[in-house]
Amino acid sequence: MSCLHEKHSIVLFFLGKRSLLVLRFASCEAVIGEAGIGGSSRSLGRILAPATRLLPSRRLHTNRLHVSLSLLVPTLAALLVLTGCATHMIRLQPVRAAFQRGDVAEADRLIAHELEQRSGEEELLLLDRAMVTLADGRPADAERMLRRVRDSFDHLEEESPAEDAWSMLSDDGARAYHGEDYEKVLVRAMLALSNLVQDGDDAEAYSLQVIDKQRRIVAAAAKPDGTNPKAAYQQVALAPYLRGIIREETHRDYDDAARNFQLVVDWQPDFGPGQAHRARAAEGSHSRRGHGVVHVFALVGHGPFKAEVEEMPTSTSLLIADQMLSTQLGTTLPPTVAPIKVPRIVAAPGAAGSVQVAIGDWAAGQTETITDISQMALRQQEALLPYCVARAVARRTVKKGTIYGVKQGFGMREGLPSLALDVAGVAWEASENADTRCWSLLPDRIQTMRLELPVGTHTLLLRPLDRQGQPLGQPVPQTVTVADGRNTYLLMQATDAGFVGRPLTNSP
Amino acid sequence: MRPADRPHPPSQLDRRRFLRCGLAPLAIPVLAAAGCRSMQFARVMMPGEDAMIGSHQAGQETFTPLVNDAVAKLLARHVDAAVQQVSYEEGAEPLPPPTRRICFVGVENKSAEDIGDFKEQIYQSIDSRILESSVFQSVNRRFVDAGLRDTRLRPDQLLVPEHMRTFAGHMEQQGQPIDYLLYATITSGTTRENRDYQRDYVLTLELVEVGTGTYDKQSAELSKGYHHSRLSRWRATNPLAQ
Repeated sequence: MSCLHEKHSIVLFFLGKRSLLVLRFASCEAVIGEAGIGGSSRSLGRILAPATRLLPSRRLHTNRLHVSLSLLVPTLAALLVLTGCATHMIRLQPVRAAFQRGDVAEADRLIAHELEQRSGEEELLLLDRAMVTLADGRPADAERMLRRVRDSFDHLEEESPAEDAWSMLSDDGARAYHGEDYEKVLVRAMLALSNLVQDGDDAEAYSLQVIDKQRRIVAAAAKPDGTNPKAAYQQVALAPYLRGIIREETHRDYDDAARNFQLVVDWQPDFGPGQAHRARAAEGSHSRRGHGVVHVFALVGHGPFKAEVEEMPTSTSLLIADQMLSTQLGTTLPPTVAPIKVPRIVAAPGAAGSVQVAIGDWAAGQTETITDISQMALRQQEALLPYCVARAVARRTVKKGTIYGVKQGFGMREGLPSLALDVAGVAWEASENADTRCWSLLPDRIQTMRLELPVGTHTLLLRPLDRQGQPLGQPVPQTVTVADGRNTYLLMQATDAGFVGRPLTNSP
Repeated sequence: MRPADRPHPPSQLDRRRFLRCGLAPLAIPVLAAAGCRSMQFARVMMPGEDAMIGSHQAGQETFTPLVNDAVAKLLARHVDAAVQQVSYEEGAEPLPPPTRRICFVGVENKSAEDIGDFKEQIYQSIDSRILESSVFQSVNRRFVDAGLRDTRLRPDQLLVPEHMRTFAGHMEQQGQPIDYLLYATITSGTTRENRDYQRDYVLTLELVEVGTGTYDKQSAELSKGYHHSRLSRWRATNPLAQ
């Protein structure tokens, strides 16, 4: 966008959503600077306000020389094509919205469209599609998709020097996405749940894989000095819980069950029934004679997602460093006018609190949280954010170093070519986007409830509740079959709009 | 001023500086592009080939010898007992030893480690060896599981005489009479030396006669050292340091 502002010519270029590259030309002098755009409105006045604030006393950086507009503007225009790509989360927002309002068909259609458009993000989109497929009552298809993503992530998490190097010249989006650590663990947990509501043959293997994956992720991050940034990770208590209930059903391996329920108590101390499960596995039996157990699993709320944020303190520090180096080196470096962008986990859990289970007039209870996914993601981000910012700073350093190298190589210390390179460097840096790729349809929490019932067929009334315990919708009846001494599994997804799709159950 | 001291005009190309400063940063990604993501491969391990050794916990290198040792010793002792029980009378056909039916209840892990998928493998391995030995006739595991489920008795409760009778009676009703209960238990003991540690693994087989409650016991032991570095392992195994 360009416009005239009385005595000054101002050329504005958007660098992402919240910042501007401002070129102010006055008396044949160009002043380059950057300003943030406040608020969401983009009226002309609000856009011009930060630009006009870039007076010599407040500007972030100036580079004065006589300049020809006819040379600068085409250079900029060509380079700025690189900027402004929509992030993954912005593109996936309609899918998330459709899913959260319970429109499974629309969510599936939108993901299918995305899959056609973006084959490079197939694995990531398959994760979301698996959740939609699960809600649609097709656990076998969901399991197949999740298994494919699991295998693909296992391959992609191997280091690729080529991709790492390329990401230093562009941004983290250049690296094949292999999932955040919590996603790698949860993909196995979802595999176990998907399998349990079918024949359950592989559920035990999946539950072992969850525990094993958690252990390997933390172990691999150990440093020679004995520190481990991932040691602070919140462990997924769902994994030992699943293993515990599966081993308990054997009526033989109570020692395994007790050991795993002890892990549940250790990892998720606020899970109320944890102690009861541990005590039953240590001293009691799976169920009374003539009874079986129904395990209700509820995927509740809206899961975390990633948003792009600007690391302003780091950006400002880097800008000051640019100026210091420019003075010392005797040549200009591209000024850090484009802020450093990093992804931040955003928890927006919504209103859904739990699922109430009733049989006739008897309120049997409500589900309780065994794994808080948003908290887990936030704790992981807390542990890894310094590394994420460091990578972004290293990337900027590589870019500035490249520009500096080219200038030195061609002997461009000043003049128009040097300025053009600086502008190109600014545009190159501004082309970076934070990597906001993530599994966007995860729930906020995974909840569970154990219900011992006599052998036979029962109709459970399931009702989603908000965080204050108020109903979020009408109760949904669901028939389950209970077999003597066996487990029956029931899986559902609940958001603010009530249940998404229909509950799934197995035949013991 | 000598020509060599004369500064280059800014526009003049300095080849060495160009190569050093201009191309070097660009060469980094090009060189790195040669390094691609590694693939995972697998191979079938031949009999006799060196097996992997668990670096952080027990694996097949621990459990296989434990099972082999404990089961072999227990069976050897009972083969001897079976031979002694058969008396020889002149002119009479030697009687085959009576078939003793054994109910292998399960493997209990009381060690410091979660043995994960090894538990099932240890069970199957012990069960197969007992069956192959012909000293005992093993009750199929599915009958054992069904018996435990139907009676709602925990494996550790079967040693209470009343519960043992209940379970044995139930199994007999199902056409699977039992003479012995067999338990396998894995235990461990850990000794630490700074950042290294030694873990002693013991597999204990307990054979309980249902009718009398008398029991036999056989253990096998294996110790394993876990070292935090190659140097530490070398120190521990260095013959010169002995």
